[in-house]
Amino acid sequence: MRDLFRIYRALLQTAWARALEFRGQAGIWILSSIFPLVMMVVWLAIVDEAGPLIGWGRGDFISYYVGAALVHQLTFVWSVWQWDDDIRTGHLSVKLLKPLDPFHYLMTEQLGWKLFILVFLAPLVVVVAWLSPEISYSLTVEQFVAFALSVAAGFVLSMLMSSAFGVLGFWSTQVANLYSLWFGVGQFLSGWIAPLALFPAGIRQVAYMLPFRATMGFPMAILMGQLTRLEIGFGFAVTLGWCVVFLILYRILWRLGIRRYEAVGA
Amino acid sequence: MPRYLRLLTIFWKNTLVSELEYRLNFWSNIGLSLFWLIWAALSVRVYFLHAERIAGWNYDELLIVMGLFFAMNGYRQMVLEPNLSRISEYVRLGTLDYVLTKPINSQFLVSLRHIGVYNWGDPILGLGLVAYALWRLGHVPTVNQLLLFIVVILAGMVLLYSFSLILQTTTFWLINVERMDALVQGLLETGRFPVNFYRGWIQAALTIIIPVAFMTTFPAEALLGRLEAWLAAAAIGLAAILFVLASALWYFALRYYTGASS
Repeated sequence: MRDLFRIYRALLQTAWARALEFRGQAGIWILSSIFPLVMMVVWLAIVDEAGPLIGWGRGDFISYYVGAALVHQLTFVWSVWQWDDDIRTGHLSVKLLKPLDPFHYLMTEQLGWKLFILVFLAPLVVVVAWLSPEISYSLTVEQFVAFALSVAAGFVLSMLMSSAFGVLGFWSTQVANLYSLWFGVGQFLSGWIAPLALFPAGIRQVAYMLPFRATMGFPMAILMGQLTRLEIGFGFAVTLGWCVVFLILYRILWRLGIRRYEAVGA
Repeated sequence: MPRYLRLLTIFWKNTLVSELEYRLNFWSNIGLSLFWLIWAALSVRVYFLHAERIAGWNYDELLIVMGLFFAMNGYRQMVLEPNLSRISEYVRLGTLDYVLTKPINSQFLVSLRHIGVYNWGDPILGLGLVAYALWRLGHVPTVNQLLLFIVVILAGMVLLYSFSLILQTTTFWLINVERMDALVQGLLETGRFPVNFYRGWIQAALTIIIPVAFMTTFPAEALLGRLEAWLAAAAIGLAAILFVLASALWYFALRYYTGASS
Protein backbone atom coordinates (compact mmCIF):
# COMPACT_ATOMS: atom_id res chain seq x y z
CA MET A 1 0.00 0.00 0.00
CA ARG A 2 2.84 2.37 0.87
CA ASP A 3 4.49 1.40 -2.40
CA LEU A 4 1.39 2.39 -4.30
CA PHE A 5 1.39 5.74 -2.55
CA ARG A 6 5.00 6.40 -3.55
CA ILE A 7 4.34 5.28 -7.12
CA TYR A 8 1.29 7.53 -7.37
CA ARG A 9 3.27 10.46 -6.07
CA ALA A 10 5.95 9.93 -8.72
CA LEU A 11 3.43 9.44 -11.52
CA LEU A 12 1.50 12.51 -10.42
CA GLN A 13 4.62 14.62 -10.56
CA THR A 14 5.11 13.54 -14.17
CA ALA A 15 1.46 14.14 -15.01
CA TRP A 16 1.56 17.58 -13.36
CA ALA A 17 4.71 18.52 -15.27
CA ARG A 18 3.08 17.42 -18.50
CA ALA A 19 -0.06 19.38 -17.73
CA LEU A 20 2.02 22.49 -17.08
CA GLU A 21 4.00 21.99 -20.25
CA PHE A 22 0.85 21.82 -22.33
CA ARG A 23 -0.88 24.70 -20.58
CA GLY A 24 -1.55 26.36 -23.93
CA GLN A 25 -3.39 23.22 -24.88
CA ALA A 26 -5.31 23.28 -21.60
CA GLY A 27 -6.23 26.89 -22.25
CA ILE A 28 -7.75 25.94 -25.57
CA TRP A 29 -9.69 23.07 -24.01
CA ILE A 30 -11.09 25.32 -21.30
CA LEU A 31 -12.02 28.06 -23.73
CA SER A 32 -13.67 25.62 -26.08
CA SER A 33 -15.82 24.03 -23.41
CA ILE A 34 -18.16 26.99 -23.27
CA PHE A 35 -21.15 24.79 -24.01
CA PRO A 36 -22.54 24.96 -20.45
CA LEU A 37 -22.50 28.72 -20.74
CA VAL A 38 -24.35 28.53 -24.04
CA MET A 39 -27.08 26.51 -22.35
CA MET A 40 -27.11 28.96 -19.49
CA VAL A 41 -27.83 31.74 -21.99
CA VAL A 42 -30.80 29.80 -23.35
CA TRP A 43 -32.24 29.33 -19.87
CA LEU A 44 -31.77 33.01 -19.11
CA ALA A 45 -33.63 33.86 -22.29
CA ILE A 46 -36.45 31.53 -21.20
CA VAL A 47 -36.58 33.13 -17.75
CA ASP A 48 -36.76 36.55 -19.42
CA GLU A 49 -39.70 35.26 -21.40
CA ALA A 50 -41.64 33.16 -18.90
CA GLY A 51 -40.45 34.37 -15.51
CA PRO A 52 -38.83 32.17 -12.85
CA LEU A 53 -39.34 28.44 -13.36
CA ILE A 54 -40.24 26.46 -10.23
CA GLY A 55 -38.43 29.06 -8.19
CA TRP A 56 -35.36 29.06 -10.44
CA GLY A 57 -34.61 32.65 -11.37
CA ARG A 58 -31.74 34.30 -13.26
CA GLY A 59 -29.35 34.06 -10.34
CA ASP A 60 -30.06 30.37 -9.86
CA PHE A 61 -29.34 29.50 -13.48
CA ILE A 62 -26.14 31.53 -13.56
CA SER A 63 -24.96 29.98 -10.29
CA TYR A 64 -25.81 26.53 -11.57
CA TYR A 65 -24.07 26.72 -14.92
CA VAL A 66 -20.95 28.52 -13.74
CA GLY A 67 -20.52 25.84 -11.08
CA ALA A 68 -21.45 23.11 -13.58
CA ALA A 69 -18.77 24.28 -16.03
CA LEU A 70 -16.13 23.80 -13.32
CA VAL A 71 -17.57 20.50 -12.07
CA HIS A 72 -17.64 19.19 -15.63
CA GLN A 73 -13.95 20.00 -16.08
CA LEU A 74 -13.24 18.10 -12.87
CA THR A 75 -15.31 14.99 -13.58
CA PHE A 76 -15.01 14.53 -17.33
CA VAL A 77 -12.56 11.82 -18.25
CA TRP A 78 -11.31 10.97 -21.72
CA SER A 79 -9.54 7.71 -20.94
CA VAL A 80 -11.79 5.75 -23.26
CA TRP A 81 -10.04 7.24 -26.29
CA GLN A 82 -6.69 6.32 -24.77
CA TRP A 83 -7.84 2.73 -24.30
CA ASP A 84 -9.17 2.61 -27.85
CA ASP A 85 -5.85 3.90 -29.19
CA ASP A 86 -3.68 1.64 -27.07
CA ILE A 87 -5.55 -1.53 -27.96
CA ARG A 88 -5.89 -0.79 -31.65
CA THR A 89 -2.29 0.32 -32.18
CA GLY A 90 -0.85 -2.37 -29.92
CA HIS A 91 0.70 0.24 -27.66
CA LEU A 92 -0.99 -1.61 -24.82
CA SER A 93 1.79 -4.21 -25.14
CA VAL A 94 4.31 -1.59 -24.05
CA LYS A 95 2.18 -0.75 -21.05
CA LEU A 96 1.78 -4.43 -20.18
CA LEU A 97 5.56 -4.81 -19.98
CA LYS A 98 5.60 -2.36 -17.10
CA PRO A 99 5.12 -3.66 -13.56
CA LEU A 100 2.08 -1.53 -12.94
CA ASP A 101 -1.49 -2.08 -14.08
CA PRO A 102 -2.19 0.29 -17.04
CA PHE A 103 -5.15 1.69 -15.12
CA HIS A 104 -2.78 3.58 -12.81
CA TYR A 105 -1.14 5.40 -15.73
CA LEU A 106 -4.49 6.51 -17.06
CA MET A 107 -5.65 7.48 -13.58
CA THR A 108 -2.61 9.63 -12.82
CA GLU A 109 -2.73 11.22 -16.27
CA GLN A 110 -6.29 12.38 -15.61
CA LEU A 111 -5.44 13.38 -12.03
CA GLY A 112 -2.59 15.54 -13.31
CA TRP A 113 -5.03 17.49 -15.47
CA LYS A 114 -7.58 17.73 -12.67
CA LEU A 115 -4.92 19.16 -10.36
CA PHE A 116 -4.08 21.67 -13.07
CA ILE A 117 -7.75 22.69 -13.25
CA LEU A 118 -7.94 22.95 -9.47
CA VAL A 119 -4.89 25.15 -9.26
CA PHE A 120 -5.58 27.43 -12.21
CA LEU A 121 -9.26 27.39 -13.10
CA ALA A 122 -11.01 26.86 -9.77
CA PRO A 123 -9.69 30.04 -8.11
CA LEU A 124 -10.79 31.99 -11.18
CA VAL A 125 -14.30 30.60 -10.91
CA VAL A 126 -14.35 31.31 -7.17
CA VAL A 127 -13.35 34.93 -7.76
CA VAL A 128 -15.96 35.34 -10.49
CA ALA A 129 -18.62 33.82 -8.23
CA TRP A 130 -17.58 36.03 -5.32
CA LEU A 131 -17.59 39.23 -7.36
CA SER A 132 -20.81 38.55 -9.21
CA PRO A 133 -23.93 39.65 -7.33
CA GLU A 134 -26.10 37.17 -9.19
CA ILE A 135 -24.14 34.10 -8.18
CA SER A 136 -24.72 32.78 -4.70
CA TYR A 137 -24.09 29.42 -3.13
CA SER A 138 -25.48 28.93 0.36
CA LEU A 139 -22.70 26.78 1.78
CA THR A 140 -21.94 25.54 5.23
CA VAL A 141 -18.58 23.94 5.86
CA GLU A 142 -20.29 20.56 6.05
CA GLN A 143 -21.97 21.11 2.68
CA PHE A 144 -18.70 22.22 1.09
CA VAL A 145 -16.96 19.07 2.27
CA ALA A 146 -19.85 17.01 0.89
CA PHE A 147 -19.55 18.91 -2.39
CA ALA A 148 -15.80 18.28 -2.65
CA LEU A 149 -16.31 14.58 -1.89
CA SER A 150 -19.10 14.32 -4.44
CA VAL A 151 -16.89 15.83 -7.15
CA ALA A 152 -14.14 13.35 -6.28
CA ALA A 153 -16.68 10.51 -6.36
CA GLY A 154 -17.96 11.72 -9.72
CA PHE A 155 -14.42 11.69 -11.07
CA VAL A 156 -13.78 8.15 -9.83
CA LEU A 157 -17.07 6.92 -11.33
CA SER A 158 -16.19 8.58 -14.65
CA MET A 159 -12.80 6.84 -14.60
CA LEU A 160 -14.42 3.46 -13.94
CA MET A 161 -17.07 3.93 -16.62
CA SER A 162 -14.40 5.02 -19.11
CA SER A 163 -12.30 1.99 -18.28
CA ALA A 164 -15.21 -0.46 -18.51
CA PHE A 165 -16.06 0.88 -21.96
CA GLY A 166 -12.38 1.13 -22.85
CA VAL A 167 -11.65 -2.55 -22.36
CA LEU A 168 -14.53 -3.38 -24.69
CA GLY A 169 -11.92 -2.35 -27.25
CA PHE A 170 -10.59 -5.87 -27.04
CA TRP A 171 -13.68 -6.95 -28.97
CA SER A 172 -14.93 -3.89 -30.82
CA THR A 173 -13.48 -1.06 -32.87
CA GLN A 174 -16.52 1.09 -32.15
CA VAL A 175 -15.79 1.68 -28.48
CA ALA A 176 -15.29 5.43 -28.76
CA ASN A 177 -18.61 5.75 -30.58
CA LEU A 178 -20.33 3.53 -28.01
CA TYR A 179 -19.03 5.72 -25.23
CA SER A 180 -20.20 8.80 -27.11
CA LEU A 181 -23.69 7.37 -27.16
CA TRP A 182 -23.51 6.57 -23.45
CA PHE A 183 -22.19 10.02 -22.68
CA GLY A 184 -24.80 11.65 -24.92
CA VAL A 185 -27.68 9.95 -23.12
CA GLY A 186 -25.94 10.83 -19.88
CA GLN A 187 -25.93 14.51 -20.73
CA PHE A 188 -29.70 14.54 -20.42
CA LEU A 189 -29.75 12.61 -17.19
CA SER A 190 -26.81 14.26 -15.48
CA GLY A 191 -28.08 17.80 -15.38
CA TRP A 192 -26.23 19.23 -18.40
CA ILE A 193 -29.08 20.16 -20.70
CA ALA A 194 -31.26 21.25 -17.84
CA PRO A 195 -30.89 21.14 -14.08
CA LEU A 196 -32.54 17.91 -12.98
CA ALA A 197 -35.00 19.87 -10.86
CA LEU A 198 -36.61 21.10 -14.08
CA PHE A 199 -37.45 17.67 -15.42
CA PRO A 200 -40.85 16.03 -14.90
CA ALA A 201 -40.95 13.99 -11.68
CA GLY A 202 -40.88 10.60 -13.42
CA ILE A 203 -37.72 11.31 -15.38
CA ARG A 204 -36.14 12.87 -12.32
CA GLN A 205 -36.67 9.70 -10.28
CA VAL A 206 -35.00 7.63 -13.01
CA ALA A 207 -32.11 10.10 -13.18
CA TYR A 208 -31.55 9.82 -9.44
CA MET A 209 -30.94 6.06 -9.80
CA LEU A 210 -28.54 6.27 -12.73
CA PRO A 211 -24.77 6.86 -12.58
CA PHE A 212 -24.80 10.06 -14.67
CA ARG A 213 -26.04 12.31 -11.90
CA ALA A 214 -22.81 11.76 -9.97
CA THR A 215 -20.79 13.67 -12.55
CA MET A 216 -22.81 16.87 -12.54
CA GLY A 217 -26.28 17.03 -11.06
CA PHE A 218 -25.47 15.61 -7.63
CA PRO A 219 -22.46 17.85 -6.82
CA MET A 220 -24.34 20.85 -8.15
CA ALA A 221 -27.41 20.11 -6.05
CA ILE A 222 -25.18 20.01 -2.96
CA LEU A 223 -23.45 23.23 -3.99
CA MET A 224 -26.75 25.01 -4.43
CA GLY A 225 -27.77 23.87 -0.94
CA GLN A 226 -30.85 22.07 -2.23
CA LEU A 227 -30.35 18.69 -0.56
CA THR A 228 -31.10 17.46 2.94
CA ARG A 229 -28.61 15.25 4.76
CA LEU A 230 -30.66 12.20 3.92
CA GLU A 231 -30.74 13.07 0.26
CA ILE A 232 -26.98 13.65 0.21
CA GLY A 233 -26.47 10.26 1.85
CA PHE A 234 -28.75 8.66 -0.74
CA GLY A 235 -26.82 10.28 -3.57
CA PHE A 236 -23.51 9.02 -2.26
CA ALA A 237 -24.96 5.52 -1.84
CA VAL A 238 -26.11 5.47 -5.47
CA THR A 239 -22.70 6.74 -6.65
CA LEU A 240 -20.86 4.15 -4.58
CA GLY A 241 -23.13 1.40 -5.86
CA TRP A 242 -22.42 2.31 -9.47
CA CYS A 243 -18.68 2.54 -8.73
CA VAL A 244 -18.77 -1.05 -7.52
CA VAL A 245 -20.78 -2.17 -10.55
CA PHE A 246 -18.40 -0.57 -13.03
CA LEU A 247 -15.32 -1.69 -11.13
CA ILE A 248 -16.48 -5.31 -11.29
CA LEU A 249 -17.49 -4.95 -14.93
CA TYR A 250 -14.14 -3.38 -15.78
CA ARG A 251 -12.06 -6.02 -14.04
CA ILE A 252 -14.00 -8.95 -15.50
CA LEU A 253 -13.82 -7.56 -19.03
CA TRP A 254 -10.14 -6.75 -18.49
CA ARG A 255 -9.31 -10.34 -17.45
CA LEU A 256 -11.27 -11.79 -20.37
CA GLY A 257 -9.90 -9.30 -22.85
CA ILE A 258 -6.26 -9.49 -21.89
CA ARG A 259 -6.23 -13.24 -22.46
CA ARG A 260 -7.64 -12.69 -25.91
CA TYR A 261 -5.20 -9.85 -26.61
CA GLU A 262 -2.09 -11.78 -25.67
CA ALA A 263 -3.24 -14.75 -27.69
CA VAL A 264 -3.49 -12.64 -30.83
CA GLY A 265 -0.14 -10.93 -30.14
CA ALA A 266 1.69 -14.23 -29.63
CA MET B 1 -8.76 26.58 -62.61
CA PRO B 2 -9.71 23.31 -64.37
CA ARG B 3 -6.35 21.94 -63.25
CA TYR B 4 -7.24 22.64 -59.63
CA LEU B 5 -10.65 21.06 -60.04
CA ARG B 6 -9.06 17.93 -61.46
CA LEU B 7 -6.58 17.79 -58.57
CA LEU B 8 -9.43 18.18 -56.11
CA THR B 9 -11.27 15.24 -57.63
CA ILE B 10 -8.15 13.09 -57.40
CA PHE B 11 -7.43 14.08 -53.80
CA TRP B 12 -10.95 13.46 -52.59
CA LYS B 13 -11.47 10.26 -54.55
CA ASN B 14 -8.30 8.86 -52.99
CA THR B 15 -9.44 9.67 -49.48
CA LEU B 16 -12.89 8.27 -50.15
CA VAL B 17 -11.48 4.98 -51.44
CA SER B 18 -9.22 4.48 -48.43
CA GLU B 19 -11.84 5.54 -45.88
CA LEU B 20 -14.49 3.29 -47.40
CA GLU B 21 -12.26 0.35 -46.53
CA TYR B 22 -13.61 0.69 -43.02
CA ARG B 23 -17.22 -0.13 -43.81
CA LEU B 24 -18.46 -0.60 -40.26
CA ASN B 25 -17.02 2.70 -39.14
CA PHE B 26 -18.51 4.41 -42.15
CA TRP B 27 -22.05 3.24 -41.47
CA SER B 28 -21.89 3.45 -37.71
CA ASN B 29 -20.96 7.10 -38.07
CA ILE B 30 -24.17 7.95 -39.82
CA GLY B 31 -25.97 6.16 -37.00
CA LEU B 32 -24.09 8.36 -34.58
CA SER B 33 -24.95 11.51 -36.58
CA LEU B 34 -28.62 10.60 -36.44
CA PHE B 35 -28.35 10.02 -32.69
CA TRP B 36 -26.84 13.44 -32.08
CA LEU B 37 -29.44 15.11 -34.28
CA ILE B 38 -32.30 13.53 -32.35
CA TRP B 39 -30.48 14.32 -29.10
CA ALA B 40 -30.27 17.98 -30.09
CA ALA B 41 -33.90 18.14 -31.16
CA LEU B 42 -34.99 16.54 -27.86
CA SER B 43 -32.83 18.83 -25.76
CA VAL B 44 -34.43 21.83 -27.41
CA ARG B 45 -37.82 20.28 -26.60
CA VAL B 46 -36.89 20.48 -22.91
CA TYR B 47 -36.59 24.24 -23.20
CA PHE B 48 -40.03 24.50 -24.76
CA LEU B 49 -41.61 22.62 -21.87
CA HIS B 50 -41.44 25.96 -20.12
CA ALA B 51 -42.14 28.55 -22.80
CA GLU B 52 -43.94 28.97 -26.15
CA ARG B 53 -41.44 31.31 -27.74
CA ILE B 54 -37.90 32.25 -26.77
CA ALA B 55 -36.60 35.62 -27.95
CA GLY B 56 -39.14 35.53 -30.77
CA TRP B 57 -38.39 31.99 -31.98
CA ASN B 58 -40.71 29.02 -31.62
CA TYR B 59 -39.69 25.35 -31.54
CA ASP B 60 -39.88 24.65 -35.28
CA GLU B 61 -38.02 27.82 -36.20
CA LEU B 62 -35.34 26.83 -33.68
CA LEU B 63 -35.11 23.44 -35.39
CA ILE B 64 -34.12 25.24 -38.59
CA VAL B 65 -31.21 26.93 -36.81
CA MET B 66 -30.33 23.58 -35.23
CA GLY B 67 -30.35 21.83 -38.62
CA LEU B 68 -28.16 24.53 -40.13
CA PHE B 69 -25.78 24.19 -37.20
CA PHE B 70 -25.48 20.47 -37.95
CA ALA B 71 -24.85 21.16 -41.61
CA MET B 72 -22.18 23.78 -40.82
CA ASN B 73 -20.60 21.54 -38.21
CA GLY B 74 -20.56 18.70 -40.74
CA TYR B 75 -18.86 21.00 -43.26
CA ARG B 76 -16.35 21.96 -40.58
CA GLN B 77 -15.59 18.31 -39.76
CA MET B 78 -15.42 17.17 -43.37
CA VAL B 79 -13.52 20.00 -45.03
CA LEU B 80 -12.01 22.36 -42.47
CA GLU B 81 -10.81 20.16 -39.65
CA PRO B 82 -8.95 17.45 -41.63
CA ASN B 83 -7.02 20.11 -43.49
CA LEU B 84 -6.46 23.19 -41.38
CA SER B 85 -5.70 21.33 -38.17
CA ARG B 86 -2.71 19.79 -39.93
CA ILE B 87 -1.08 23.21 -40.26
CA SER B 88 0.25 23.19 -36.71
CA GLU B 89 1.63 19.68 -37.31
CA TYR B 90 3.34 20.81 -40.52
CA VAL B 91 4.92 23.73 -38.71
CA ARG B 92 6.06 21.70 -35.71
CA LEU B 93 7.49 18.82 -37.70
CA GLY B 94 8.82 20.91 -40.57
CA THR B 95 6.77 18.93 -43.08
CA LEU B 96 5.38 22.23 -44.36
CA ASP B 97 8.33 22.11 -46.73
CA TYR B 98 6.64 19.25 -48.58
CA VAL B 99 3.62 21.48 -49.12
CA LEU B 100 5.65 24.48 -50.22
CA THR B 101 7.79 22.64 -52.74
CA LYS B 102 4.78 21.39 -54.67
CA PRO B 103 4.03 23.27 -57.91
CA ILE B 104 0.58 24.37 -56.86
CA ASN B 105 -0.78 27.10 -54.62
CA SER B 106 0.09 26.31 -50.99
CA GLN B 107 -3.13 27.74 -49.58
CA PHE B 108 -5.15 25.49 -51.89
CA LEU B 109 -3.13 22.45 -50.85
CA VAL B 110 -3.32 23.15 -47.16
CA SER B 111 -7.06 23.89 -47.30
CA LEU B 112 -8.51 21.25 -49.57
CA ARG B 113 -6.10 18.31 -49.74
CA HIS B 114 -8.02 16.08 -47.38
CA ILE B 115 -11.66 15.37 -46.79
CA GLY B 116 -13.18 13.66 -43.78
CA VAL B 117 -15.88 11.34 -44.99
CA TYR B 118 -16.95 10.12 -41.58
CA ASN B 119 -19.33 12.97 -41.05
CA TRP B 120 -20.98 12.82 -44.44
CA GLY B 121 -24.28 12.28 -42.66
CA ASP B 122 -24.22 15.59 -40.81
CA PRO B 123 -24.82 18.06 -43.66
CA ILE B 124 -27.45 15.79 -45.20
CA LEU B 125 -29.26 15.14 -41.92
CA GLY B 126 -28.96 18.80 -40.94
CA LEU B 127 -30.56 19.99 -44.16
CA GLY B 128 -33.13 17.23 -43.77
CA LEU B 129 -34.04 18.63 -40.37
CA VAL B 130 -34.39 22.09 -41.92
CA ALA B 131 -36.76 20.70 -44.55
CA TYR B 132 -38.75 18.87 -41.86
CA ALA B 133 -39.04 22.00 -39.73
CA LEU B 134 -40.17 24.05 -42.73
CA TRP B 135 -42.80 21.40 -43.48
CA ARG B 136 -44.04 21.54 -39.88
CA LEU B 137 -44.30 25.32 -40.16
CA GLY B 138 -46.14 24.94 -43.42
CA HIS B 139 -43.75 27.43 -44.95
CA VAL B 140 -42.35 26.91 -48.42
CA PRO B 141 -39.54 29.39 -49.14
CA THR B 142 -40.00 31.51 -52.25
CA VAL B 143 -37.32 31.54 -54.93
CA ASN B 144 -36.09 34.88 -53.58
CA GLN B 145 -35.79 33.50 -50.08
CA LEU B 146 -33.97 30.42 -51.33
CA LEU B 147 -31.49 32.54 -53.27
CA LEU B 148 -30.90 34.75 -50.25
CA PHE B 149 -30.41 31.63 -48.17
CA ILE B 150 -27.83 30.18 -50.57
CA VAL B 151 -25.92 33.47 -50.70
CA VAL B 152 -25.81 33.83 -46.93
CA ILE B 153 -24.93 30.21 -46.19
CA LEU B 154 -22.13 30.26 -48.75
CA ALA B 155 -20.86 33.46 -47.17
CA GLY B 156 -21.10 31.72 -43.80
CA MET B 157 -18.99 28.83 -45.07
CA VAL B 158 -16.34 31.21 -46.39
CA LEU B 159 -16.41 33.07 -43.08
CA LEU B 160 -15.91 29.86 -41.10
CA TYR B 161 -13.05 28.85 -43.39
CA SER B 162 -11.35 32.24 -43.12
CA PHE B 163 -11.77 32.39 -39.38
CA SER B 164 -10.36 28.86 -38.96
CA LEU B 165 -7.44 29.65 -41.24
CA ILE B 166 -6.59 32.77 -39.25
CA LEU B 167 -6.65 30.84 -35.97
CA GLN B 168 -4.63 27.95 -37.37
CA THR B 169 -2.06 30.25 -38.96
CA THR B 170 -1.29 31.71 -35.53
CA THR B 171 0.25 28.33 -34.68
CA PHE B 172 3.21 29.42 -36.79
CA TRP B 173 4.06 31.56 -33.80
CA LEU B 174 2.36 29.68 -30.94
CA ILE B 175 4.05 26.41 -31.73
CA ASN B 176 2.97 24.43 -28.68
CA VAL B 177 -0.75 24.77 -29.32
CA GLU B 178 -2.05 21.65 -31.03
CA ARG B 179 -5.81 21.53 -31.06
CA MET B 180 -6.83 24.96 -32.29
CA ASP B 181 -9.75 23.30 -34.03
CA ALA B 182 -11.20 22.62 -30.57
CA LEU B 183 -11.49 26.39 -30.18
CA VAL B 184 -13.19 26.75 -33.55
CA GLN B 185 -15.57 23.96 -32.62
CA GLY B 186 -16.38 25.62 -29.31
CA LEU B 187 -17.09 28.93 -31.02
CA LEU B 188 -19.32 27.30 -33.60
CA GLU B 189 -21.28 25.67 -30.75
CA THR B 190 -22.67 29.11 -29.95
CA GLY B 191 -24.35 28.85 -33.32
CA ARG B 192 -26.67 26.12 -32.09
CA PHE B 193 -29.08 28.82 -31.05
CA PRO B 194 -30.18 32.03 -32.75
CA VAL B 195 -27.94 34.95 -32.01
CA ASN B 196 -30.88 36.85 -30.47
CA PHE B 197 -30.67 34.51 -27.46
CA TYR B 198 -27.50 36.23 -26.39
CA ARG B 199 -27.61 39.67 -24.92
CA GLY B 200 -25.89 42.95 -25.62
CA TRP B 201 -22.19 42.76 -26.24
CA ILE B 202 -22.14 38.98 -26.75
CA GLN B 203 -24.71 39.26 -29.51
CA ALA B 204 -22.69 42.05 -31.13
CA ALA B 205 -19.47 40.07 -30.82
CA LEU B 206 -21.07 37.02 -32.40
CA THR B 207 -22.26 39.10 -35.34
CA ILE B 208 -19.27 41.28 -36.09
CA ILE B 209 -16.11 39.94 -34.49
CA ILE B 210 -16.68 36.19 -34.67
CA PRO B 211 -19.46 36.13 -37.27
CA VAL B 212 -21.26 33.01 -36.09
CA ALA B 213 -24.56 34.81 -36.72
CA PHE B 214 -23.94 34.57 -40.46
CA MET B 215 -23.44 30.83 -40.24
CA THR B 216 -26.71 29.67 -38.73
CA THR B 217 -29.02 32.48 -37.61
CA PHE B 218 -29.08 34.64 -40.74
CA PRO B 219 -29.48 31.76 -43.21
CA ALA B 220 -32.39 30.52 -41.09
CA GLU B 221 -33.95 33.96 -41.16
CA ALA B 222 -33.45 34.08 -44.92
CA LEU B 223 -35.43 30.85 -45.31
CA LEU B 224 -38.19 32.22 -43.09
CA GLY B 225 -38.33 35.41 -45.11
CA ARG B 226 -37.21 37.48 -42.16
CA LEU B 227 -33.82 38.58 -43.46
CA GLU B 228 -33.36 42.11 -44.68
CA ALA B 229 -31.64 42.21 -48.05
CA TRP B 230 -28.82 44.48 -46.93
CA LEU B 231 -27.68 41.84 -44.46
CA ALA B 232 -27.11 39.46 -47.36
CA ALA B 233 -24.95 42.09 -49.03
CA ALA B 234 -23.14 42.59 -45.72
CA ALA B 235 -22.57 38.83 -45.60
CA ILE B 236 -20.86 38.85 -48.98
CA GLY B 237 -18.79 41.87 -48.02
CA LEU B 238 -17.72 40.45 -44.68
CA ALA B 239 -16.86 37.08 -46.23
CA ALA B 240 -14.73 38.75 -48.89
CA ILE B 241 -12.89 40.90 -46.35
CA LEU B 242 -12.20 38.03 -43.98
CA PHE B 243 -11.08 35.77 -46.82
CA VAL B 244 -8.59 38.37 -48.02
CA LEU B 245 -7.37 38.88 -44.45
CA ALA B 246 -6.93 35.15 -43.88
CA SER B 247 -5.06 34.66 -47.15
CA ALA B 248 -2.84 37.66 -46.43
CA LEU B 249 -2.02 36.29 -42.99
CA TRP B 250 -1.22 32.89 -44.53
CA TYR B 251 1.28 34.37 -46.98
CA PHE B 252 2.76 36.55 -44.29
CA ALA B 253 3.25 33.49 -42.08
CA LEU B 254 4.89 31.64 -44.96
CA ARG B 255 7.45 34.39 -45.32
CA TYR B 256 8.11 34.17 -41.61
CA TYR B 257 8.46 30.37 -41.82
CA THR B 258 10.79 30.27 -44.77
CA GLY B 259 12.95 32.85 -43.11
CA ALA B 260 13.25 30.72 -39.98
CA SER B 261 14.29 27.48 -41.72
CA SER B 262 16.96 29.01 -43.94
